Amino acid sequence: MNAASGSGSNVGSGQNGATGPGGALARGRAAAASAELEISRAWLVDPATGREGPGELVVRDGVLRAVTWLRGADAAGVGPDGVIVVPGFTDLHAHLREPGDEAAETIASGLAAAAHGGFTTVCAMADTTPAADEPGVLIRVRALAAASGSPVRVLGVGALTAGRAGERLAALGELADAGAAAFSDDPAPVRSASILRSALAYAGMLGVPVVEHAVDPGLSHGAEANDGLVATVLGLRGSPAAAEEAAVGRDLAILADVVRDVPGVRLHLAHLSTAGSIALVRRAKAAGLPVTCDVTPHHLALTDGWLAGSRRWAWDGSDNPWADGPLAAAPYASSLRVEPPLRSAADAAACLVGLLDGTVDAVATDHAPIARPDREVEFGMSVPGIAGIETALGLLLAAVDAGRLPLARAIAALTSGPARVLGPRPASTAPGLIVGARADLVVIDRSAGWTVGPATIRSLGAPSPLVGRDLPGLVLLTIADGRLAWEASGA
Amino acid sequence: MSPSRPPGSPASPEDEGVGIPVVVPSVDAAPHSQPVAWRHRHLLDVDILSADETELVMRTTDAMREVLGRPIAKVPALRGTNVTILFYEASTRTRVSFEVAAKNLSADVVNIATATSSVVKGESFLDTLRTIEALGAGMLVLRHSHSGAAQLAAEHFGGSVLNGGDGWHAHPTQALLDLYTMRRRLPGGTVAGRKVVILGDALHSRVARSNIWSLTAAGADLWVCGPATLVRGLEAWAGSGVGPASRRFTVTSDVNAALRDADVVMALRLQQERMSGGLLPSLREYSARFGLTRERLALARPGALVMHPGPINEGVEIAPDVAEGIQSVITEQVANGVAVRMALLYLLAGVRGPR
Repeated sequence: MNAASGSGSNVGSGQNGATGPGGALARGRAAAASAELEISRAWLVDPATGREGPGELVVRDGVLRAVTWLRGADAAGVGPDGVIVVPGFTDLHAHLREPGDEAAETIASGLAAAAHGGFTTVCAMADTTPAADEPGVLIRVRALAAASGSPVRVLGVGALTAGRAGERLAALGELADAGAAAFSDDPAPVRSASILRSALAYAGMLGVPVVEHAVDPGLSHGAEANDGLVATVLGLRGSPAAAEEAAVGRDLAILADVVRDVPGVRLHLAHLSTAGSIALVRRAKAAGLPVTCDVTPHHLALTDGWLAGSRRWAWDGSDNPWADGPLAAAPYASSLRVEPPLRSAADAAACLVGLLDGTVDAVATDHAPIARPDREVEFGMSVPGIAGIETALGLLLAAVDAGRLPLARAIAALTSGPARVLGPRPASTAPGLIVGARADLVVIDRSAGWTVGPATIRSLGAPSPLVGRDLPGLVLLTIADGRLAWEASGA
Repeated sequence: MSPSRPPGSPASPEDEGVGIPVVVPSVDAAPHSQPVAWRHRHLLDVDILSADETELVMRTTDAMREVLGRPIAKVPALRGTNVTILFYEASTRTRVSFEVAAKNLSADVVNIATATSSVVKGESFLDTLRTIEALGAGMLVLRHSHSGAAQLAAEHFGGSVLNGGDGWHAHPTQALLDLYTMRRRLPGGTVAGRKVVILGDALHSRVARSNIWSLTAAGADLWVCGPATLVRGLEAWAGSGVGPASRRFTVTSDVNAALRDADVVMALRLQQERMSGGLLPSLREYSARFGLTRERLALARPGALVMHPGPINEGVEIAPDVAEGIQSVITEQVANGVAVRMALLYLLAGVRGPR
């Protein structure tokens, strides 16, 4: 598709034939300044209004000028299996590694990867070196983002405690003044319940959410994998579901205590991975606690069976990969080492149910690129992390294609869901197809897919566990803040 | 984890292995010169072995025992082959067993102990593998503290990898020498239907895991017995079954139930660090509740075999009079270990072809 060349008139040349008769025509101009785009006869999904259906839209000078919903004969033949247009995604949780570990990722490469994944807003976590425990790092990250030329918006997450050491509070007020979108010591949990209690109260006063990596450090100490059948058979040190659930329970108890004095407090539990954690949050939400949570695409779609060599999606496998038929890959792929560990198929299913019933507010990638030397090692020696910002959409669409997740819910989990978690403070506009606003959207060809591999991935780090895998849904265009952020090559 | 057929080899009844006699190689000849139905370049664990392949290992081990009985216990089979023995964990018995096995086959043996190598300078595992390969190693015997290290080595090393023990995961040569020892000593020459008890710290034991694969495959009535903290998780494995065929075994902390009418009792070494890790109150308490004493052994069948992978903590997991008693086949395990390792080096070398 000649998405980024020529003027704005509709032409069909290069159009992907698989979009069917009368499929959408997307034409854009790759002007660095402002995108020009007309899309006709596409499937629009707008989580802001809950509306989806056939439609057309026009971007002029970087501004979304018109959105037209088609009816009757005009809408004939336009479905969610062709070209779809959705608001740009927000990632609540990305480790962009700069400053400190530029062999794994830089701000520039991370934002290129984000744009490839359809993300137009990225929360950059605070575990850089040095940690973002005072405004200097946030300001530097913002400057690096501006220098990269990417229109993808970076929201800095400030550390919760000084040096992320969990002993005294970071410069929370100054970080908030410098625009911190949230506070978090991730990937470290806040060990001290007392510090967490203070931090929640203080952050609540500032109106900034606290993002917690909930894990009991004693129960997870030295762990390499989910404590379960796979770890038992492979001889890997297991981290039990209780390691996460004990911390979630503790955090919710502290939240309930703090909210009595500080009604503005907000706790966000990152990358929940167990059925028990989802159940605890469901109950806490029912009790009215100000808690939100996310799950990652890999915890929805992958299981610990992958460590044994299974390559089945979570919804296609059982908890016993040896009984599911021949194993597709060798065991112990260090690219699968991640925190929290990939869990059982039952846990993944519970995370999906949580997403469907609203217990889970958002899907966040926990994009964690790892430099090659830190990955090409024994499984237990690998630095944990999966670089998933480019494959998040594909994994969710795989669940959509399997009939496990409605398309609109998948898109909401990447757009309106994370925006609600962050709250009104950092966001200038809520995600949506909002006429008159700077265009912030993704054009996806649902009839096409792509193969994960070195040629298609923009992130710098070691290969993803999905390398070689075909994923559904090709991101044709990502427009952030009215500017072209990503355009599929050869499109 | 079923191995795939090498490219180009036609499907044949041998692949199914039903009723086809196992062709035992003449171990005096070069390994690659004979039509032996062995297709594995590496041996990382016993789970890849079909019944016929296990039988081939057993019969080849018989042939190696014959070699060991000769006045000059040496054959030229691996002459010119460099076997590098790379041990990342302290071990004397297993390392020496591999070394003797390789030398009996006339291989050139290089021993690398990590304390004296550049590993202590922070050289990565893959760098070490590349270096060893560049120095001419054709076969690598690896002992490593991380589960999965042998798999990683197999993915990067150009020759054959023989797993000498990786983390808690696998110790295939130990499981095969255990099986060989049982088959030689048990009436009828088979473990099928026999009650075999693995007693002790199975959770942290690669010996236990490999034996779970091989003994369930051989049709043994396998029991794993130990304190709840040291058999944790194994109940789930027993419940879901081993491998694609979901072969069952039994897990219990009731030592009397486990030992009653047992044909074989294999005690596992108890590591001191289990106490510091909070998994056990004391060695004394472990010994009192789970140690293999003469009184406990009396629950087993008369003449039941007593085994131990070594090294033994006498008076902890096994009483000295049991370890040295007439039912003990522990020293025979050590002797058979050399023959089994010779057999495996020989079979793996055949897949590599002539140098």
